[in-house]
Amino acid sequence: MFKELDPLLHSQLRLQIISLLISVDSAEFGYLAEQTGATKGNISVQLTKLKNAGYIEVHKSFRDNYPLTQCNITPKGIAAFESYVAAIQEYIKK
Amino acid sequence: METTFNEQDSIRVITEMIENSKSRIKDNSFFYLLWGWLVLIASITNFILLKMGYFNIAWIPWPILMFGGGIVSGIAGYRMGKKAKTKTMFDTTMAYLWSGFVITLFIILFVAASGNISWQASNVLIIALYGLGTFVSGGILKFKPLIIGGVISWAIAVATLFVPEIYSLLMVALSIVVAYLVPGYLLKSKEKNQGHV
Repeated sequence: MFKELDPLLHSQLRLQIISLLISVDSAEFGYLAEQTGATKGNISVQLTKLKNAGYIEVHKSFRDNYPLTQCNITPKGIAAFESYVAAIQEYIKK
Repeated sequence: METTFNEQDSIRVITEMIENSKSRIKDNSFFYLLWGWLVLIASITNFILLKMGYFNIAWIPWPILMFGGGIVSGIAGYRMGKKAKTKTMFDTTMAYLWSGFVITLFIILFVAASGNISWQASNVLIIALYGLGTFVSGGILKFKPLIIGGVISWAIAVATLFVPEIYSLLMVALSIVVAYLVPGYLLKSKEKNQGHV
């Protein structure tokens, strides 16, 4: 029996975002766009999904009159990522 | 794209993203060089003034240079923080290390100024504290010259007990050269080679 892969993380862009956030305290929206190469619209949609699941927190503020979006992973997100990695390892072993 | 996304792809995505975010060591050499030069100038000027017999004003270089350094550091730190797009565990650790460093430094200076310990003893403690700062930040950065500079600083701290009081200022200068300036320039050239900001 194999564990069910978390559908929320088993998608390229969302997994990219979570993997980036796992190694930093917080990251800006622009950084995520730069590293993933995805469009801002797409990232925005995926961030909302991750936020609604409680995997990440999104903070909106302003810097020099420009909107600034910062994201960070939550303990729930870290736990989800860890069990996703564990599940993947099972699949690889098979 | 999502339909063809398999387990191998997942692993590739995870490793790629983690690699990208971890190799971003920020330019820290600026602070080592700034403080290295300021302390070097202050300790040598202090020494020269004492040698020339200006006992009353010999300490003057310290507050002037340190205050100036504090302002420059504050502005530079604020600007760098604004430019940085991510905040890592590394940034947080460094911020705590160096603010703790400054507080400890003030306590030592306060105790020395109150006359409870001699200036020589305070110089020993300050050199040992410099060693701690470089040693720990070298460990965080995984940068050997800083770690070695820290260890040498500790040796200099102990040696300072055995020199005449006035020369303890030159020992401070020496520890700054080995613990801050030399590693600072090495760090700068390393960052340059990596094509970093």
